[in-house]
Amino acid sequence: MWFEFAGLARQCCATRQFLHFASYALQTAIQQHHLWQHPTPAIHLSSTTAAQPATLPLIERRLEPGERVIARLQTDLDRQLRFQNGLLVLTTRRLLALEESQEEAGQIRDWALAEIESLELEEMGATGALHLMATGQPGGSHWRFTAGCIREADAFVACVMDHRGALLSGNPPVESQTAEPDVDDEGLDFSDLVRDSQRGNPLLRLLMFSRPWLPLIALGLVLTVAATSASLLSPWLTGSLVDAVLIPIQTQSQALHVQQITPYAIMLLGTALLAWLLKWGRSFVVARIAELVTSRMRRDLFEHLQRLSLIYFNKKRTGDLISRISSDTDRLSMFISLSFIDFVCDVFQFVFTALILFKIHPLLALVALGPVPVVAWLVKCVRVHLRSCFAASGRAWGIMLSVLTDTIPGVRVVKAFAQEEREIERFRQTDHHVYATNDRVNRTWSFFSPMIEMFTDLGLLLIWIAGAWTVAHGEIRVGVLTCFIMYTSRFYGRVEAMSRFFASAQRAAASAHRIFEVLDVKPDMPSTEGTQRIGRLSGRIEFRDVKFRHGARQIIRGISLDIAAGEMIGLVGASGAGKTTLINLACRFFDVSGGAILVDGQDLRDIHVEDYRKNIGLVLQEPYLFFGTISDNIAYGKPDASREEIIAAAKAACAHEFIMRLTDGYDSMVGERGQQLSGGERQRISIARALLIDPAILILDEATSSVDTETEREIQRALDNLVHGRTTIAIAHRLGTLRNANRLVVMEHGLITEIGSHDQLLNTSGTYARLHQAMLEVSHT
Amino acid sequence: MKTPAAHPDLQRSSVGALAYTDVTGKRHDKVLPVRLFPLTDPNRWISITDLQGQELACIEEVDGLPDDVRKILLETLAERDFVPVIQVIHTIRHAELGCEWCVTTDRGQTRFCVENDESVEALGGGNVVVIDQHNTRYRIPDLAALDAKSRQKFERYY
Repeated sequence: MWFEFAGLARQCCATRQFLHFASYALQTAIQQHHLWQHPTPAIHLSSTTAAQPATLPLIERRLEPGERVIARLQTDLDRQLRFQNGLLVLTTRRLLALEESQEEAGQIRDWALAEIESLELEEMGATGALHLMATGQPGGSHWRFTAGCIREADAFVACVMDHRGALLSGNPPVESQTAEPDVDDEGLDFSDLVRDSQRGNPLLRLLMFSRPWLPLIALGLVLTVAATSASLLSPWLTGSLVDAVLIPIQTQSQALHVQQITPYAIMLLGTALLAWLLKWGRSFVVARIAELVTSRMRRDLFEHLQRLSLIYFNKKRTGDLISRISSDTDRLSMFISLSFIDFVCDVFQFVFTALILFKIHPLLALVALGPVPVVAWLVKCVRVHLRSCFAASGRAWGIMLSVLTDTIPGVRVVKAFAQEEREIERFRQTDHHVYATNDRVNRTWSFFSPMIEMFTDLGLLLIWIAGAWTVAHGEIRVGVLTCFIMYTSRFYGRVEAMSRFFASAQRAAASAHRIFEVLDVKPDMPSTEGTQRIGRLSGRIEFRDVKFRHGARQIIRGISLDIAAGEMIGLVGASGAGKTTLINLACRFFDVSGGAILVDGQDLRDIHVEDYRKNIGLVLQEPYLFFGTISDNIAYGKPDASREEIIAAAKAACAHEFIMRLTDGYDSMVGERGQQLSGGERQRISIARALLIDPAILILDEATSSVDTETEREIQRALDNLVHGRTTIAIAHRLGTLRNANRLVVMEHGLITEIGSHDQLLNTSGTYARLHQAMLEVSHT
Repeated sequence: MKTPAAHPDLQRSSVGALAYTDVTGKRHDKVLPVRLFPLTDPNRWISITDLQGQELACIEEVDGLPDDVRKILLETLAERDFVPVIQVIHTIRHAELGCEWCVTTDRGQTRFCVENDESVEALGGGNVVVIDQHNTRYRIPDLAALDAKSRQKFERYY
């Protein structure tokens, strides 16, 4: 008794402590959510080795009166790079560090802010390190964490240095400084990625998805139930026929009266006809539902894909996406039309038949239900396994399609390197993988399905034995037994169908999951986010301390540049310096991770994305032409352009002459990616495309680097027309292309190192001069 | 590229960083070792680069180095290496951002998020790389060597 009480008391205590901590955590989380968000939360496994999060209260207790927590950083590695949580806390006076190691729990070290000489973040491959140098501490202190903490660490370092600076300069930090706005943004960005859609069972979600067709589904159900009921009538009629007519005829040697049999025969025919009609209607309705649902699903998927950012497509395989849109929706269609409504009907029949069985003979019915729990148990065993197998099979299919989408467009390279055999082998391997995963499904399935059949056959055998016994004891008549057996075999038919359903449901669930996985990806930059509608811009662009981080890598490290309306900027620098990223940021394909880009004085993030993109003309190194005519391609950005506009754009892009020479002129079909045209011709079409929308801002990403010098000259002429009167940002490796640029900007490792005109930069003999020299040397040899 | 016959001259600098003296006798105070095949051949082909990523030397065979140089090199690599090897898979469940994996690695227990199917990549021979949402790599060097339960949880990926 006493022990129980003590245990209870302990529990209460623990609960209270937990509540206390929880409310505290909530409170502080609200205050400073941006530094608190920890992307890889600590483990909550029951295992004893699992690391627990380093808790703030431990540090709280060490605070002096009047000292307040300003920011904190949770680290997740120890110095040997093992997963171990630690906590760094910045207070109004000190920096405290809590390290939890296996040996000593909760060791706290602290440094007064004035002691801190430097606090630096270093990215070390997949991890990050913080190096603290303090007075009187040679070697410094170091903390490590995974890439997930780097953004927070960056913000934390800024926070610490700000405070230290403010403290040393004698201005006690103002409250508003504690949460820097751009840091705040990052925190919010992060939570934005979390999808808000309901997760859970993909099949339930499929049902939710089908909501718009609820009336049709209801109709399908009604038809199904009606058809089933109609077919259920016939055993009943048969039983009555046997007992009321046939057996009396046989036992009492009566003459056969046709009028006795006729009503039964007509009723049997009637039910058969009714069942046929109803089943016809049902099959049609159900098939239509399946097509409607999956067609909407395909459209939704495609629409959704169009809204996703470039980052998403960089990560995904084309073939896998195609397989999700095509084969996975097809599987769902099969599932809905063949299994889903049937299942509802099966359940209905199952219950109904069971009731009839009980009504006829409760004891026999109990015997008949015998195998059901066994079947249910078997289904449960096999379900999870089948689900993973189907998922693997869907994945294998996607990989196979990826090989196709990889090699078919790349067929020139394959042939040039005579690697046909290798590609055949690669395809053979992925195809074998598809075979192997399906084989795995079949292995389970082929074992499982006959197994269920065997159990139901056994059940039937039991009924015969029990039935014979009851008939022998005169409890029921043969007709009743016949009827009972017919219902029982029907009942087992339903049990089998339902067990099959559970398996096909797993396939559908795997497919539905693959589809919802895509639909759940929240567009990183929804066009609704920026609400400011704009017309034509004048074209002034201002980069204000722009930073961009991709994963753990900082690609743009802080760029400030003011581009006047109509100015042409040439971006120069080695590959990987961040030029293309900067351009992608200017196009708002990605959002900045720090700082801001302002266009005509407005933050890019506030502007409606589509409106903004209408102001941008983009000419890429590898022009992409869509399947269609040349005029379609030129008018891609403005489908309602007149013939006159199209021709004018083509003329200005120096494309008119070669288009005229083509047999079908502007109506010439250019195939996928425009293979029939030369590189220079394609480029000029893409320039015409950019010209036609008359953009305020023009972006040229190495527009001339993939063609010969002669063609370059023509393209250059086309570009000169294009550049005139527009704000232009051009990347070029051939520096001559940039001779018209008002200013040249040299980038290195994500930073601007030089800005100036061609002559100015040559005189400073910096990077640009070196590049120029290198280019001259190449052209002289 | 041919590896220089003489081994590269690596030392620890006073601040603990890796230092390198090239053939001309020029000393680089802070250099970084980079594995060229971190997943498929981690212990051979290691490039020594300066902070700008310019290659200064390339070591084909670590085992061929003198003991002290090899020790310094491996220590510096260990500071930067972070490819936990998954030993046990506890759970893989669907979470807000793709799949949440809960695993025991050679560096302790952790959980991480795998955003999409492409992030689980088979390199052949049962060698699997899992890339989490922050681009951290986790390895399963040999699928067949995992325990049956973990393999079952991984089933949907192979």
